[in-house]
Amino acid sequence: MTKPKVLLLGEIEYAHDAWNALSDIATLITPQSTTRPAFLQECTSGQLDGVHTIFRTFDSGSLTGPWDAELIAALPSSLRFCCHNGAGYDAIDVAACSARTPPLLVSNCPKAVDDATADAALFLLLGALRGFNSSMLALREGKWRGEPAPPLGHDPRGKVLGILGMGGIGRNLKRKCDALGMRTIYHNRKPLGAEEAAGAEYVEFDELLARADVVSLNLPLNPHTRHIISHAQLAKMKPGVVIVNTARGGVLDEEALVQALDSGHVRSCGLDVYDDEPNVHSGLIRNENVMLLPHMGTYTLETMAAMEERVVVNVREAVTKGRLVDLVVEQRGLV
Amino acid sequence: MIMSSSRALLLIGKLHHARKEWEALSSLATLKEYPSGDRPDFLRNCASDAYADVTALYRSNDSTSITGPFDAELVAALPRNVKHICHNGAGYDNIDVEACTKRGIAVSSTPIAVDDSTADTAMFLILAALRRITTPFLAVRDGRWRGGEKFTLGHDPKGKVLGVLGLGGIGRAVAARAKPFGMSVQYHNRNRLSPELEDGAKYVGFEELLRTSDVLSLNLALNASTRHIISKREFEMMKEGVVIVNTARGPIIDEAALVEALDSGKVFSAGLDVFEEEPKIHPGLLKNEKAVLLPHVGTSTWETQKAMEVLVLDNLKSATEGKGLITPVAEQKTKR
Repeated sequence: MTKPKVLLLGEIEYAHDAWNALSDIATLITPQSTTRPAFLQECTSGQLDGVHTIFRTFDSGSLTGPWDAELIAALPSSLRFCCHNGAGYDAIDVAACSARTPPLLVSNCPKAVDDATADAALFLLLGALRGFNSSMLALREGKWRGEPAPPLGHDPRGKVLGILGMGGIGRNLKRKCDALGMRTIYHNRKPLGAEEAAGAEYVEFDELLARADVVSLNLPLNPHTRHIISHAQLAKMKPGVVIVNTARGGVLDEEALVQALDSGHVRSCGLDVYDDEPNVHSGLIRNENVMLLPHMGTYTLETMAAMEERVVVNVREAVTKGRLVDLVVEQRGLV
Repeated sequence: MIMSSSRALLLIGKLHHARKEWEALSSLATLKEYPSGDRPDFLRNCASDAYADVTALYRSNDSTSITGPFDAELVAALPRNVKHICHNGAGYDNIDVEACTKRGIAVSSTPIAVDDSTADTAMFLILAALRRITTPFLAVRDGRWRGGEKFTLGHDPKGKVLGVLGLGGIGRAVAARAKPFGMSVQYHNRNRLSPELEDGAKYVGFEELLRTSDVLSLNLALNASTRHIISKREFEMMKEGVVIVNTARGPIIDEAALVEALDSGKVFSAGLDVFEEEPKIHPGLLKNEKAVLLPHVGTSTWETQKAMEVLVLDNLKSATEGKGLITPVAEQKTKR
C-alpha cells in the first residue's frame, strides 16, 4: 500500500530528525508554488491530490495567504488533517474546515508555547510598568537616563493583574507574577476550578476592566474577540492602567489604544503583537513610554524546537491513527 | 554634650517624596539643609559655626555629586558633634565606613526597601539578556521588524542554573522570582546562610559558581575586596554561552574584560544596570547588541524611592531619640 502524502507548507528549522523520521510512514512533499494564486492553481489542478495531512507553519501564510474559505475549498478532497505550528490559529477559518465533507480537522500547538509567551509577557509588563523603554533608548543616544530625566516607574508589588483569557499562558503568567507580589484577577468564558485558578479571583469582564492596574491579554483571536478591547473598554479601565498584549494584535483596537495613550488614560503598554504585522502604528513608535517587541513571544531555541516536535507528533498521530492529539477546541464536537 | 533643643539635623541634597516626614522631625531638632553646592563650600560650612550643632546627617548616593564621596578627608572634616550618618542607598561604597567608625560615627543604609525593585530589574535583565532583546527592541522601532540577519533566537530560563553571587536581601529576592521560571538556584556568599534564608538554594564555592552557572547574577556589595572580582580570569572559568546580569555596582566587573568575552562569544549576552564609570559606558558595550543596558534605574519607582527616603528619616528619628540606628551598615553591626 502506498504511503499517505504529507505536505509541508513552510520550513522545518529545528525538528529535522523527527520530520525526516516521518518518511517511515508517509511520503513527504513540498509545494512547487511560491505565491497564493500559484498555490490555488496547484491545488485545483490536481497536483496535490492524495495529500492526507498538511504541516503548516505560521510563516507559510506569506506564501499561501490566510486559510480562508476560498483556499479551504480549493484544497484537495483527500486532505483530512491540518497540523498548524502555533498556539494561535486565527489565520485558519476553522468553520470552513469543519464544513468540508468530510471535515478537515485542525490541530494547533498549545502548552509548548506557555512558558516562553508568559516570559515575554512578564518582560513587557515590567518594561511598561517600570517605564524602562525611554531609559534604554536615551542611554543608547548618549543621554544616560534622558534629558529631562524620565518619570519614575512603578513597582508591581501590591498591584492588581487582570488576565483576560486564563488558558495555559495566562495561568503560567499568573504564577510568575505571584513572585512579583501581584494579585491576580481573571476573566474567562468559564471560571476555572480551584486548583487551576491557584488563588486567582474570577470576575466578570467589566469588573476586570475596572479593577486591574495591569491588563494582560492572553485570549485567542476569533470573530468573538476581534477588538474586544476598544474605546469603550479602554474608557472603563483605571486611569494610569498598563496594558500587555502577547495574544494577537486583532484583539486590541490599535487606534483606540494610541488615543488612550496620548490622553494619558493608559499610562503605558507592552506589545508583542499588532493588528497588521510587521507594520506598527506610528502612534506607538513615537511614544517613548511603551515597550514594543516584534512578535517573538516563542522565539527561543528550546521553545521553537519543542513546538515543531509537537506538530510532528500530531502529524504522526494523524497518519497512523487518523486523529489529532491537539485538536482545536472548536472541532471537539466533530470527533 | 548638646542639649536636645540645640541639636540639629542636616539634610544634604534633596527630598522628593518624604518632605512631610522630614519636617515632622522639627519637634526633635533644628532642621538644616544643604540642597546644592560643592565640596569646598560644604567643607567650609563644616569648619564654620554653621553646623556646630549638627548631630546627624541625611545623605544619599545622589548627594555625592554635591559633596563628593564621604572619604577619609571629608569624614575627618565633619562637624565635631556628628554622631550619625543616615545614608539613602543600599550601596554605600562612597562612604569610608572605617573612618566613620574610628571617629565614633554610626552609619545606616537602606537595605530591604530596595530589594523588590532591584530584583525586578534583575529579572527583567535576565529575561532580556536570555532573549538578546536589544536587536529586536531597536529594530521594531526602526521599521526593521526583528532586525533581519542580526536577529537570533534566545533561550528559555526553564531548566537553567541561576548562580547568585551575594545572596543578601536583593539576591534572595532575585532567587524567589527566578524559581517559578523553572530555574534552579545556587549561590556563593562569604559565609553560608541558614536553611531558612537559603530557601533551597545550593551553596557552592566561588569557582564552582562560575564554572556551573548558566546565568550569573551579581548581587554583592562593592568594597575593596570585590572590585573587579569578575575579570578576565573569572570569564575564562565560566561556561561557554553564560549570561551575566549586574544590578549591583559597575566596578565589580572589569568592563573591558566583559566586552572581550561578549565579542568572543564566551558570554552569550549581558544585562547591565550599572557601569564602572557611570554615566560613561564602555563603547564596546554600546556597539554589541548582545548587551542589554539600563542607566542605573534599579530603584527608580515612586514606591521604592519614597520607602527609601522614609527609611533614612526613620533612622534619623531613631538615632536622635537615643534608640540607635534601625539599619546600621554590616561593618558596624555589633556582633552578638
